[in-house]
Amino acid sequence: MSPFNRTATASVLYDAPGPRARARYRVFGVLSLIGVAGLLWFVYATLDDKGQFNPALWDVFQYNTVQQRIVDGLLATLEAFGLAAAFSLTLGALLAAGQLSDHKPVRWACTAVVQFFRAMPLLILIVALYYAFFATDPMWALVLGLTLYNGSVQAEIIRSGVNAVPRGQGEAAYALGMRKTQVMASILVPQAVRSMLPSMISQLVVTLKDTSLGFIITYHELLFVGKAIASQPTNSAGFPYIPVVLVIGPIYIALCLLLTALARWIEARGRRGANRRTSTAA
Amino acid sequence: MTESPVEDSISAAAPLVVLSKVNKHYGALHVLQDIDLEIRQGEVVVLIGPSGSGKSTLCRTINRLETIDSGRITIDGHPLPAEGRELARLRTEVGMVFQNFNLFAHKTVLENVVMGQVKVRKVIRSHAEKTARELLDRVGVGAQADKYPAQLSGGQQQRVAIARALAMKPKVMLFDEPTSALDPEMVNEVLEVMRQLAADGMTMVVVTHEMGFARSAANRVLFMADGRIVEQNTPDAFFTAPRSDRAKDFLSKILHH
Repeated sequence: MSPFNRTATASVLYDAPGPRARARYRVFGVLSLIGVAGLLWFVYATLDDKGQFNPALWDVFQYNTVQQRIVDGLLATLEAFGLAAAFSLTLGALLAAGQLSDHKPVRWACTAVVQFFRAMPLLILIVALYYAFFATDPMWALVLGLTLYNGSVQAEIIRSGVNAVPRGQGEAAYALGMRKTQVMASILVPQAVRSMLPSMISQLVVTLKDTSLGFIITYHELLFVGKAIASQPTNSAGFPYIPVVLVIGPIYIALCLLLTALARWIEARGRRGANRRTSTAA
Repeated sequence: MTESPVEDSISAAAPLVVLSKVNKHYGALHVLQDIDLEIRQGEVVVLIGPSGSGKSTLCRTINRLETIDSGRITIDGHPLPAEGRELARLRTEVGMVFQNFNLFAHKTVLENVVMGQVKVRKVIRSHAEKTARELLDRVGVGAQADKYPAQLSGGQQQRVAIARALAMKPKVMLFDEPTSALDPEMVNEVLEVMRQLAADGMTMVVVTHEMGFARSAANRVLFMADGRIVEQNTPDAFFTAPRSDRAKDFLSKILHH
């Protein structure tokens, strides 16, 4: 079965190349390589022109206080992300349950909330919350904004996941005499979460990156700290913008990779036998 | 032909499932038309008929997986509840086996059989597991208890589904085309379990295209066409001398290849 599947998938996506196609691909490969190398050289040359690779610009990272500020910024980012992730998943589950409710008013209310906060630009939400309620405590404006927006998106993901579980799964559970809450909690949601995990984790990655919007409302997270460091001319070499990007950027990338690795681990753990072959193949 | 003692006791028993004047529409399609049906304790009723005749729908109305537009369904003297706890309780009394097995894909075979007992019947887990293992042994898949449904063949999955339904100790079992999704060589292992169940006195409603099963295990054959019960009789009488033209036509199509 599995080797069959592999060839089937491969040939659906594209034909195995013949000798002329292979030669053509080699030419494309070399041309792309030259193109990418040229682009990289252009980036390097432009930055070098502006003196961004001047070693003196990197001096700033040797100060303990600067290092400490970066660590503090990282912790602040993680704190906002941790809270927003936990709250948005909870809110998402609640809103999804509401959207799938048998009671029309509940369904409508939850759908309205989801549509509103999903459509609202996150930045506007955060700025509004900051000026309206949290002027002294920007973290909660950020966390609440992220929760409302990402919770709505997570709700849509969970809802569509539940709807995508084969209908027979729910019917079989009802036929055993389970109540709706039991069917949801023990049959539909576990299967939905399993199949929707990649989407949910991608949304968590978005949540993580969007914590950087906190710098606009003066929340001292990673980007705020980076900007502060970059805007201090520490010596004659000027503003260390590029060095800061080269330090802060990889930290974000590393965090996202960690999240993705976590997702892959959970997925592998959850796969154990279930759904390797669709049980409803008729 | 003399009546066997089993058939005697069936005809004497009180009706367990009663449908009277049941109607259902799917939009313009009148899928069930004035269905009257009494199923007695211990009786095995086989529903046959061309596709689209309403036999699956009829089967699914008995535990209210399909709602009806008018008419009345009673089970063991009680009208079928419309919703809520009463409906859930009634459904535990009515076991259901689906065409596509519908085993819970994220649970092991054992857990599939344990779950309903623990969550619905509130049986203690150790007891439920014991019952589950006995039932799995009875349907011949005891060795697969710790596997996931996707790792089993279709025939094995369907036998697990039967065990899962039996674990609720139902009064009546509904089979909605239980062998239609199976590879031909697996049909018999499932039918054998069903024959055994029938011999043990389970009340059964079976929608099927397996005429051999209808002949050998049914007490009564119902022939449905266009939303009506066109003809009902003992299997012998129905298969050897169908009365209606629709049934003659249907049988001539399926029996002479």
